[in-house]
Amino acid sequence: MDVGVAVKAALDLNVLRSNPDGSVAVENIPLVISEYDRNAVYEARRIADSTRGRVIIYSFLTWWPADRKEKDFENVIREALALGGDEAYVVVDPTVSGSEPRFTAKVLASLIRKYGSPSLVITGEASTDMTSSSIAPYLAATLGYSVVTFARSLKVSDGGIVVERDVEDYIETVRASLPAVVSVTGEINSPRLPTLLQIRKAFRKPLVKTTLSELGLSPMLPKYSDYRLVTVKRKRVILEDGSPEELVDKLVSYLVEEGVLKR
Amino acid sequence: MRVLAVSNSGKYYGDLEGFISRLGNVEEAILVTSDSPGGNFSKVYRVGDIYGDLLARIVGQVGEPDLVVGIHTRKVLEAVSYLAGSRDLPIVTEVTGLEDMTVTRNILSGRGTAKYSLSPPAVLTIAPGKFSGQLSLGPPEVVELGEKPSTEVVSRSEKSRTGVDIESAEIVVGVGRGFKEKDDLKLAFELAEALGGEVGCSRPIAADYKWLDEDRWIGISGKKLRGKLYIAVGISGAPQHIMAANDVKVIVAINKDKNAPIFEYTDYGIVGDLYQILPILTRKVRELRGV
Ligand SMILES: Cc1cc2nc3c(=O)[nH]c(=O)nc-3n(C[C@H](O)[C@H](O)[C@H](O)COP(=O)(O)OP(=O)(O)OC[C@H]3O[C@@H](n4cnc5c(N)ncnc54)[C@H](O)[C@@H]3O)c2cc1C
Repeated sequence: MDVGVAVKAALDLNVLRSNPDGSVAVENIPLVISEYDRNAVYEARRIADSTRGRVIIYSFLTWWPADRKEKDFENVIREALALGGDEAYVVVDPTVSGSEPRFTAKVLASLIRKYGSPSLVITGEASTDMTSSSIAPYLAATLGYSVVTFARSLKVSDGGIVVERDVEDYIETVRASLPAVVSVTGEINSPRLPTLLQIRKAFRKPLVKTTLSELGLSPMLPKYSDYRLVTVKRKRVILEDGSPEELVDKLVSYLVEEGVLKR
Repeated sequence: MRVLAVSNSGKYYGDLEGFISRLGNVEEAILVTSDSPGGNFSKVYRVGDIYGDLLARIVGQVGEPDLVVGIHTRKVLEAVSYLAGSRDLPIVTEVTGLEDMTVTRNILSGRGTAKYSLSPPAVLTIAPGKFSGQLSLGPPEVVELGEKPSTEVVSRSEKSRTGVDIESAEIVVGVGRGFKEKDDLKLAFELAEALGGEVGCSRPIAADYKWLDEDRWIGISGKKLRGKLYIAVGISGAPQHIMAANDVKVIVAINKDKNAPIFEYTDYGIVGDLYQILPILTRKVRELRGV
């Protein structure tokens, strides 16, 4: 069975930058693979292997400007291929300047329909940058697939799927029919770093780029605005010189001074 | 305006009523819930469970509302996102603020915010604890719906709970992957006890290793802290973790890696091995507090 994975190239939270007015300097922030999408690729590989299918990566470059982001984006897709993808179909379009779940799901659905239509599509539980968690269900409704989100385990059986779902207070075991979209939690598996050989092989795997107009879609003006960084105001007093006793003494006196540690 | 509210628990009716009452000119607010009916909504549809295809059927019957407002829990999030997809509506999740028809939400795992201007029809989920209030449209007529969702729930098991409430604790000691084994966590429990606080943890400690129950899990997908002191021990400082402590008065970190991101988010940091530092800190706190 072929398994699709929707992968996001997300803003790297370790190198966030802002403009002098506090707005997020999207243009200058590198992209990395969204953390839990590794788990999604890994899970897809496992299922495809046991059912003799392919793993198909789908992605849409939502951050802008496309020409400055394309290199990072390609690296993310190559990483997904190295982690277990067999081929990739992606949208890179210079008219895009941001997106929202409704549009992203529409683009992914068009890619999926045009290239392979796998009957199981996996996503991460949330992207690291926008964290909406709504792509999997939105995509499922658009494709007419069933949906299960926040999967901690996933099994294909009797033409359907059986999923252990993490719903806050409970773990719920559900059965859904195929075709389906499933979002997986970071706990579903432990992806290994790709080996050098896997990385080298990834460069020989098919990566097909297309645009919105080639998919018959028109660009959408994003309704998001005013991306800002939250200012973190902390004292950042770092204690590193001295014996452990001395460091702790200093810390304790600071905490007493702050009034958070009382005799 | 006509609004459809969605909740899987009665404890969120106040959040939903609070948000909806801030919209102004709401003529009708229907609640779909899988819990006991309540609140001052115009009408309540009671369903066995909250699923997207059920919601889509209800909307098919009552007509498309101007806004669908769900509480941001995993059940409701999935269902209303599916509903949005089935009707090609925009969706904005985990909304924390509302001004005129512009909503605010957190992005970048808590490191940023963004605004979104709504033009109904649209679908939202709201973050718990951000809105409160009451509608005056009730008392509602209650309609029981027996329909079943297409997803079949085979079994359900409750997660193990400690019963601690770290969200209202004044002092929390947080443990992360810097601890080598479960037994070593006692170093943190001893410190927490000396301080009169509770122990919390990073996501891997609860979700991957299952060393602690999930009610101790701190982060954007766990609990938020707002007390006076948070001591993060052996935690690297991923924004998904530490931004949930942004409202804490004083943040302390103990980490052996001088370059760990956690030090960006702390008032006082000790660069050192937790196995050396914690026993000394616990002893000194005990001496100071005479416990
Ligand atoms: C969508 C999403 C949601 C998430 N939600 C959450 C969430 O709610 N909560 C959460 O916590 N995480 C969350 N995460 C995961 C998060 O990104 C990090 O992976 C996680 O917080 C890391 O946990 P950690 O700091 O314990 O482990 P690590 O990152 O492995 O850090 C361990 C730290 O311990 C230090 N250390 C090691 N040995 C010692 C020693 N002897 N003494 C002192 N220090 C030592 C190391 O230097 C290191 O900095 C989420 C991720 C995603 C993508």
